[in-house]
Parts: sequence; structure tokens; C-alpha cells
Amino acid sequence: MTGFPTTSFAALLPVAILTLGAVVLLLSEAFLVSGKRAYQSGLTVAFAAAAAVAALALHRPGPVFDGQGTLDGFSAFVTAIVCAGLALSALVGASWLEARGSERGEFYALATFGAAGMVLLGMATDLLVAFVSIEVMSISTYALAAWLRRGLRPSEAAFKYLVLGAVSSALFVYGSALLYGACGSTAFAKLPEGQGSPLYLVGMGLALAGVAFKVAAVPFHAWTPDVYEGAPTPVTAFMAAGVKTASFALLVRLLLAAETGTAVKVAGFGALVSALALLTMIAGNLLALPQRSVKRMLAYSSIAHAGYLLIGVVSAAVAGARAQALAGLLFYLAVYSATVIGAFAVVGVLERRAEGEREPADPWDLSRFSGLARRHPALAFAMAVFLLSLAGIPPTAGFFAKLYVFRAAIGAGFEMLAIVGVLTSALGAYYYLRVVLYMYMRPPEAEAEVLSAPSLAVALLAAVLVVVVLGVAAEPLVRLAAAAGTLG
Amino acid sequence: MNLLSLVVFLPLFGALTLAVLPRDEVGQHRVLALSVSLATFVLSLFLWTGFDAGSGAAEFQFEQRSAWLPSLGIGYHVGLDGVALLLVLLTTVLTPVVILSAYRAVAERVKEFLIAILVLETAMIGTFAALDLVLFYVFWEAMLVPMYLLIGIWGSQNRLYATIKFFVYTFAASVLMLLAILYVYFHDGNTFDYLEARRALEVTPQAARWLFLAFALAFAVKVPMFPLHTWLPDAHTEAPTAASVILAGVLLKMGTFGFFRYALPLFPEAALSYRGAIAALAVVGILYGAMMSFVQTDMKRLVAYSSVSHLGFVMLGLMALSAEALTGSVYQMLNHGISTGALFLLVGLLYERRHTRQIADYGGLGKVTPALAAVFVVVTLSSIGLPGTNGFVGEFLILSGTWLSRLGAPAVMAALGALGVILGAVYMLLLVERVFFGPLRKEENRTLGDLSVREGFVLGPMVALILLMGLLPQPFLRPVKPAVDRLVQRFQAAEVRLGGETRVGTVPPAIARPALQARARPERP
Repeated sequence: MTGFPTTSFAALLPVAILTLGAVVLLLSEAFLVSGKRAYQSGLTVAFAAAAAVAALALHRPGPVFDGQGTLDGFSAFVTAIVCAGLALSALVGASWLEARGSERGEFYALATFGAAGMVLLGMATDLLVAFVSIEVMSISTYALAAWLRRGLRPSEAAFKYLVLGAVSSALFVYGSALLYGACGSTAFAKLPEGQGSPLYLVGMGLALAGVAFKVAAVPFHAWTPDVYEGAPTPVTAFMAAGVKTASFALLVRLLLAAETGTAVKVAGFGALVSALALLTMIAGNLLALPQRSVKRMLAYSSIAHAGYLLIGVVSAAVAGARAQALAGLLFYLAVYSATVIGAFAVVGVLERRAEGEREPADPWDLSRFSGLARRHPALAFAMAVFLLSLAGIPPTAGFFAKLYVFRAAIGAGFEMLAIVGVLTSALGAYYYLRVVLYMYMRPPEAEAEVLSAPSLAVALLAAVLVVVVLGVAAEPLVRLAAAAGTLG
Repeated sequence: MNLLSLVVFLPLFGALTLAVLPRDEVGQHRVLALSVSLATFVLSLFLWTGFDAGSGAAEFQFEQRSAWLPSLGIGYHVGLDGVALLLVLLTTVLTPVVILSAYRAVAERVKEFLIAILVLETAMIGTFAALDLVLFYVFWEAMLVPMYLLIGIWGSQNRLYATIKFFVYTFAASVLMLLAILYVYFHDGNTFDYLEARRALEVTPQAARWLFLAFALAFAVKVPMFPLHTWLPDAHTEAPTAASVILAGVLLKMGTFGFFRYALPLFPEAALSYRGAIAALAVVGILYGAMMSFVQTDMKRLVAYSSVSHLGFVMLGLMALSAEALTGSVYQMLNHGISTGALFLLVGLLYERRHTRQIADYGGLGKVTPALAAVFVVVTLSSIGLPGTNGFVGEFLILSGTWLSRLGAPAVMAALGALGVILGAVYMLLLVERVFFGPLRKEENRTLGDLSVREGFVLGPMVALILLMGLLPQPFLRPVKPAVDRLVQRFQAAEVRLGGETRVGTVPPAIARPALQARARPERP
């Protein structure tokens, strides 16, 4: 290496902006006297936007710090999704937290730190950098999950998340150690050199299991429903969008690096991941069926969607279908992030609040949605749009996301995965539409309090626009995703 | 702007306009929705008059092709052949009729109701007009949501169960069609364009069979074919009148249209290997539907089961693959849309007056409501295919076309089908007898009002069409001919590829056979 690595530092600009934003938010809280915090969510949005712009503007593909990371279209796209997710979640979080009297600068600071970790994870091409990024991301989200300290559910969620998250990190780091033993390097690019050694097999298996925890693939999903349900709703939204996107970016890079040496057809770990995909789609959808708590249903549905995304990952391992599959995966992640944040936002709006120390038994029960179309037609319409998109019914963005991923799967020759995928999404239509049924076809229950705030309205409107506009005119984003569908 | 695209999207535009009108201006909403649907109807008449059914004319007319999602190979491509044209016309006729019919019946959430109807109209016309496989799928699925809401919000007691069943049933059946569409994409030179796919599709015979089955499953549920029909009685019975009319009138035709447009021409070889089984199921459906109608005590359920029977005829005609039977099938699609649509309207009118659908609650209404009874009789006669009504033309063509087709055991199929016609006459006439004739048993029925002027406008077009299509079928049959001929030609070409004996087309009637044979062998020493 000669000279000062200017380009490498420039590549880290989005991360730097996000970190700076987090620090500013922390300090602003420390020096706050008036107690007015409305600006903090705005500030978060501004920093997120700046980071996204920086990522898209400084599109100079190439390795970062001697291949510890890489800057490519893929990482830029992931950065954009994470930043959009951060901005939307911050807007949703503002009024939600304020209503519960727990809006603090630290909340946004933690989320922004977490986003910095996610962005870094999207760029990581080295096991150690990946591990550090995972930790930055995870520790922020552990703290966020425990944000409302009172009550049983939040503490259970945070504790579970912490313990299981620590286990997954341990798996990952242990796998990394074994991989280092097998390959003599922690760089992804050197991984194929270890192929054939038993150390490599065990190490890769452990590392993939660690990532599978993060993306909530069955059978590593057990933490998801409890954590998603117990965490504050805006945090759940952020986790479903951001953590999932970043973890999938890592999974793709890791798996593709491991599969580089093999022939066109997937072997070994590819087969393993496709088995995970099958399990995840089937179990996620089946478990979502009986849920009466809408928040828990969305948690299981996020498992199911991880299954569809895994189809994209497996298809990307087939050389001929790689570009299409990666583009499909990115498109899916973008659409899913907007949709799921919107859906969780509506859940948060309707959530029954704790009265003093007493926690309500069923704060997210389906009955909260009864007759919503009569009381708040716009809110019900927004939720219906999100649910139809999650179910993949045209003309919503979710349909084209599924179309894109399944197309890649058929192009890669995974007809069986695609068949299971569409059949389970038909199953999904049932539980998503049950919420629509409650909103539109049941009489309203006793007047329930509903959050409303301009920031919330902006977030919901943005999410609805994404879902609807991408449902009728997806071409621009498809183009962007296609351009980003190559790994550096 | 392309006239066809205008017809497709005008209702949607109307729905968007409705969405921004103030909520309590119910009168405004009704007038706006009615005018939009009437304007759509008038525009669609220009499609009819502008359609060239000559032998040299293009297969698809009013075509528009523009980029939609070029990176994914998806285009916006619409166009009409004669069959699609007639079905579009059926849609644009029925929509204003149902909007008018719902003036009194729907008093709650009128705005949402009208929006759902108009969105549904766009989706229906789009399904018939689409010439891109993904565009077709988008319209096809987009139809489900407004129908789901129509049944679920404005339906009767058991509506929630019925609407979920309707949605999940039809959605689950069509997702495999999406995969088949994706598979086709990779085997026709990477495009979703229908014309291109039909021309350039190259798949192994085995794959073609799977693809055919995937398409056929989606369509068979929609038709609905026995034994996939179980969603239909529930959905029809629980739906509000307007939705029942559209469901029976147009949505069911999408299944048979799908066979005609997609499943048969895309995979002719595979279709030939399954036609016997499908035709047998169609015949079972005819008889089963008729027998189920026999035992119903609920008028709406009776009409719903009669749909299963009538659509069985259409499927039988499609599988016969002779020009006569295919033409009859297309004609019967229109007939069923009009006569069963009208029956649902009439049942709805009775329900509005008496708030019951039980046949036993009526009787002797002919004396109280003579005009209603007269219309009911006319519609019934059309439904059972009396000569002079539209139903006769369709059923006659189907049965004679099937008899003379090269389907396995055509005479048996046609004879069993004819048995279905007789059964149909029995259960429909029994219904008329039990509702309108005999003594006036119930006191409540003495005060029922006859048809109002508005209701006259609702039923007038239907009766007029029944008579017009029965006495003057030619203008309706003419645009069908080129499409039917092309389909038969495609199958004849497939036969040549397969080799072996002739399996499609018409056998010369037995009576003409000796003469033909004599002509073929003129000299004998």
C-alpha cells in the first residue's frame, strides 16, 4: 500500500455521516434545556438522507482498505435501503415515543449508530470487519429493543434478543476462526482456498448459521416472534427493514465467495441454503396463520419473507442467473423495507397503551383493527395497501418483488423452490387478508385512541407511495437494482 | 390515445375521481359512476363498429404496444380479437346495469361500493384486452381485491366466510399460472408478450403438459369446473346482487376465455392429450350442477348451481374443438352472462321486496307483480334455451358441434349434455312455477310492488339483448368466426406435428357421408 488511502476513506463517508449524526444527536440531548425534541427525528432524517446521497453520489467501485470491504453498486443500494429505513422509522418513532413520554435523543442516536453498522456490513468482505459491523448493528438494536424499560414484554424481548444474538455472534466468530485456520486469511476472496478441508466445512457452516440467526431463517428463527412483539414498534420496524437488509447483504457475499470455486450448479452450501429457504417459507407462513396479534403475525411474516429472499440468494449462486437474482433480491429488500415499516407504523398507531404499571393483555389484537375503514379510512387504506403488497397481489410493489425473485429462481432452474414459494404465498394471502377483513368488514368497536402526527402521516404517505408507484411503474427502481446487481 | 386503452382505464379514472368527492354526497357519486360506466359503454360500441371481421383483417385490432417494464421483459400490450371484443362489450353493458340496480339495494358506504365496481370494471376489461402475459396476470389478480370487498362488505349473513373462501381459492389456483408464465418467458426468447410467446414457444412435450395444467387449473377454478366449483355457491349466494351479477356475468367467463386465449393456443399438443378428461369433467359438471339446482331451497343458490351446469356446456364446446362447438361456446359465454346476470337481478329485486331468498316464501306472485313475472319468464326461457332466445343458439351449436366433433365418444357426450338441457328446463320451470304461479299463500306477498321505472331500465337492456341475440345472432357471431378459425388452424397444425389420425375439426354428418364417399370414389367398375 502506498500513500494515504484517500479513496478508502472516501468510501466510508456514509458511515462517517451516520456516526457524526449519532454523536450530534447524543450531544443535543445532553445540552437540551427546553425539553422540546421534535427536531431530533428531523435531524435523523437529514443525516440519513445525507448518508444515502453520499453513498449514491460517490459511486467509485473498488476495494476498500485492501479488500477488507468493497464499494460497489450492491453496497450503495444496501446503504440507500438502510438509510431510507432509518428515516422512515425515525419519523414513525417520534410520535410513538412522545405518546409514551420516552422520546430521547439517545433513541435516534442508537438507531443511527445501528444504521452505520448496517451500512458497514453491506460493504464488508472480510470476516473480522463483518463481525465488528454485526456487533455495532446488534448492540444498538439490543439497546433499542429494551428502550421501554418498564413491563415484562420489553424486558423479555430485549433479554432474549441479547442472549440469542450473542450466541449467533459466537457462532459466527467461532466459524471465522476455523475458516482462518483453513484458509490462512479472513478475506472472503481467499475463502475458496480452504475448500475441501474439514475445518472449512465446519467453519463455513458455523458462520452461515450465525448469519441465518440474523436473517431469521428457520430453524434459527425462534427469537423473532418474541423480540419483534416485545420491542417498541418503531424499533421492530427498523429491525425488520434494516437488520434484515444488512444481514442479507452479508449472507450473499459470504455464500457467493464460498461458492466461487464450484461449477455452475450450486453444490454444498448452496443446497444447504435452499433447504433453509424451503423450511423458512413453509414454517414462517404456517406459524403466521393462527396469530391473532397483528404484530406477532407480521413477525412471522417477516420470517416467511426471509424465505423468499433466500430463494434470491440461492439463485444468485448460479452463475448464469446471478445478475438477475441479485437485482431481484435488492428490489425485494427495498420494497419489503418500505412495506413492513408502513405496516408496523399502522400497528404502532393502533397499539393499546399501558396504563401506569398495568400492561394491556392484547395491545395488538385483531379487534383493534375492527371497523378501522369507517373510523379512519385513510389509515385503513394504507394498511390494506401494505398487506396486499406483503401478500404479493398486483398491482402493488410486493407483486413485482416476488415476480422478480421467482423469475430469477426459474431462470436458475429452481422450479421446486419457486413452486413452494408461490404456494406458501397463497397461504400468506389468508392471514394478511384477515386483517383487511377486520378493517373493512367488521363493525367498529368502542372508540379506540389513535396516534396522529404530521411526521407519522409523512412516513405513511411515503411508504404508501413507494408501494403503489412501484406497483404501476417499477421500471426506474428495477433499472437501479439491475445496475447494482453486480458484486465488486 | 388508443380507443381500447381509453375503454380500459376510463372506469379507473372515474373511480379516482369518486375517491376525492366528499363522502356524504351520495347522489353525486351515483350519477358520476353511472355516467362513467355509460360513457365506457358508448366508447366500447365504437370498438364494435370499428372491428373488422373480414378474413383479411388483423387478428388483434385496436392494438397498442408500449414499454412498461422493459428491463423485466414486460410490456403494455393490448388488443382485441372478436371473442375478447364481445366479452368487453358484455362487461360494459353489465356495469351500468348493476350500478343502476344498486341504487336502492346499497345504501351504506355507497362511495366505496361504486369505487369497487369501477375498479373491477377496469380490471375485467383489462383482462380481456391484455396481450402481455404479465399484464394479463396483473389484471386477472387485481380483480380479486374489489370482488373480495364487494362480497365481504355488502354481502349477506355468511359473507365473511364466503369472501375469504373465494379469495383464497382463486388466488391459490392462479399462483401456479404465474410460475408457468415465468417458465414460458425463458423458453420463448425472453419476453412476456403473448403473440411472441405463441409464435416462438419451444418446450419439451412434458413441460408443455405441466404448463398447460398450471394454466388450466387457474382457469378451471374460475369457470368453475366440477370438482373445483365449491367456492361458487357460497360466493354467489352471499354476494350482493350487483356482485353476483358481475361474478356470474363476467368473472366466470374469464376462466373459459382463458382456455380459449391462453391454455389452448399456447399448448395445443398438451391440450389434445387432456381434452377428453376435461370434456368428461364438463359433462359431469353439467349434470351435477343441474341436479344440485333441483334440490336447492334458496333461489340464489339455485341460480348459482345452474351456472356450474351452464359453464359445463361452454367447456364441453371448447374441448370439442370443432368450429361449430367453439362458436357455440363463445356465444354461450355471452348468453350465460346475460341470462344468469338477469336472473340474479330478478332474484335481487324479489329479495329487496321480501327480504328472503327462500323459494317456499313465495308463490303466486304472478298476480301481484305481473311485469316482474313476465320478465322472469322470458329470462328463464332464455336460460333453458328455448328457440327464439339467445340460449337456443348457443346450446344448439355446442351440442351439434360436439356430436360432430372428433372428441372421444362425441355422441355420448352430446347426449348427456342434451340431458342437462332437459334437466335445466325442469328445475328452472319448477322455480318459476313455485314462485310466480299457484295460489298466493303468504299474506305478506299481497302487497309487493311491481317493477318501477328504474328497475325497468335495469331489466330492459337484458330482455332486449335476449331477444336480439336469439333472433339476429349474425352480428354477434361474425366477429367470433376469425378467432375460432384461427384456433382450429392452430390445432390442425399441431396435429400435423404430432402425426397420427385427425383429432380436431368436424366430422361430416352421417346423413351426408354416403354422398361424400360416393363423390370420393366416383368410378367403380
